[in-house]
Amino acid sequence: MKKLITFRVNDREYEIAVAPNRTLTQVLREDLNLLGTKEGCGVGDCGACTVIVDGKPVNSCLVLAVQADGSDITTIEGVARGDSLHTVQQTFVEMGAIQCGFCTPGMVLSATSLLDKNPRPTEREVREAISGNLCRCTGYQKIVEAVQEASRRMKK
Amino acid sequence: MLLLPKFDYEEPKSLPEALAMLSELRGKGRVIAGGTDLIVNMKKGTVKPACLVSLKKVDGLREIVGENGALAIGSHVTVSQIAESDQVASAFPVLARSASGLGSPLIRNRATIGGNIVTARPAADLPPALIALGAQVELRGNGKDRKVPLDGFFTGPGSSVIEPGEVLTEIIVPAAPPFTGGDYIKLGHRAALEIAIVAVASRLTLDKPDGVIVDARIVLSSVAPTAVHAVSAEKALMGQRPSEELFAGAASLAVADCSPITDIRGGAEYRRDMVNTLVKRTLLKAYHDAAGVKGGGA
Ligand SMILES: Cc1cc2nc3c(=O)[nH]c(=O)nc-3n(C[C@H](O)[C@H](O)[C@H](O)COP(=O)(O)OP(=O)(O)OC[C@H]3O[C@@H](n4cnc5c(N)ncnc54)[C@H](O)[C@@H]3O)c2cc1C
Ligand code: FES
Ligand code: FES
Repeated sequence: MKKLITFRVNDREYEIAVAPNRTLTQVLREDLNLLGTKEGCGVGDCGACTVIVDGKPVNSCLVLAVQADGSDITTIEGVARGDSLHTVQQTFVEMGAIQCGFCTPGMVLSATSLLDKNPRPTEREVREAISGNLCRCTGYQKIVEAVQEASRRMKK
Repeated sequence: MLLLPKFDYEEPKSLPEALAMLSELRGKGRVIAGGTDLIVNMKKGTVKPACLVSLKKVDGLREIVGENGALAIGSHVTVSQIAESDQVASAFPVLARSASGLGSPLIRNRATIGGNIVTARPAADLPPALIALGAQVELRGNGKDRKVPLDGFFTGPGSSVIEPGEVLTEIIVPAAPPFTGGDYIKLGHRAALEIAIVAVASRLTLDKPDGVIVDARIVLSSVAPTAVHAVSAEKALMGQRPSEELFAGAASLAVADCSPITDIRGGAEYRRDMVNTLVKRTLLKAYHDAAGVKGGGA
């Protein structure tokens, strides 16, 4: 049976009826049309589906939408400020930390969550924070550099 | 895309209500905590519950409470909470270390300690550390409650003494005696998102800083169907004065205490070698902490 759930996504309130067997990834993409959240593996390995739930980045493919009732969620669509990119997005673009782009939304969300709680992370801390987000293209070095550059710019 | 089969979902508001619900479901219901194991298994079709019972609205399962050096950890405390807790890090660094190596930050934010125990994976990270610390779990059932030592809780891969309808509510870690130290080392192919090829948790207690070993615990993981004690190695340490030679001897005995298999993550021979190395290393660190730290460093 469908359940009525209420949650906030990118500062907007939603009240929707969902079947218990639908994941948060599915509901964000299919019901809310927020296509920035990707589904890669579906089993927690790749991090393409990363979203922030109540302040913490999680794999949305392993969260049932019904479990997210009452939560506050941020997807990649909620990261930019109007037409201007978030500093992390900007440095990713400038520094070649994006190639095919499939991992990018998840990477950016893991990186912004890190910088929120630790504005001056070490290289190791950056690598640790994005360790659940796989990238097939970049080799990670440019991503790590972009996050560090974002941290420097955000300090100013 | 891996789709989930159909099932019902309930959020009881109290533990008695949850227990009544589970007993009414007669084995067709399952508790869902973080879901990081359950949802994967349901997507793969290996478990097919008719109804998931979430304990999200049940109070009191998400706290870490400390008293006189002991800790009571609610079953729904997340692995990140444990990895980031100052209380855990100072009282039981071994537990903190095992938590910070589990999965990835994304997984740790959802995964719970209760789920890590009940799912009973042979390579799970928290059980070896908790067994070395002498932890007990509290199981609440419809009409009967019991406390069970984690040592003896597991009966095989994916199986344990918990009965359908029972809920694991709390993990109790007793205070460590003075002059106690420990260590946990997990060996994987990469730093994140890798279950252990071999993992070892050790704990030593001395009678005084430069004294003899009065308690030795060595728990080996991923080298048998459940986490196991290196029994002969533990025996060899008891009553002895710590030394590198003693630890090397114990480590070679530990190799015979396990029964590793060969799989895609590593060969049995390699695993035996690593048991030897990791037991030696964890004992050295445990000894170092035990001799240096008053009041328990494991
Ligand atoms: C990508 C990935 C990587 C992982 N890496 C690791 C790793 O490195 N090390 C490791 O140890 N694990 C790892 N895991 C496994 C998993 O994340 C952990 O075992 C986790 O702690 C399970 O907790 P959970 O709350 O998500 O459990 P759930 O999936 O909610 O539940 C697991 C099982 O326990 C039962 N259960 C849960 N809570 C209770 C309770 N309170 N009472 C009774 N029954 C209960 C459920 O019914 C279910 O059968 C990984 C998983 C994924 C997807
Ligand atoms: S799609 Fe969720 S982790 Fe891969
Ligand atoms: S840019 Fe292609 S997967 Fe990361």
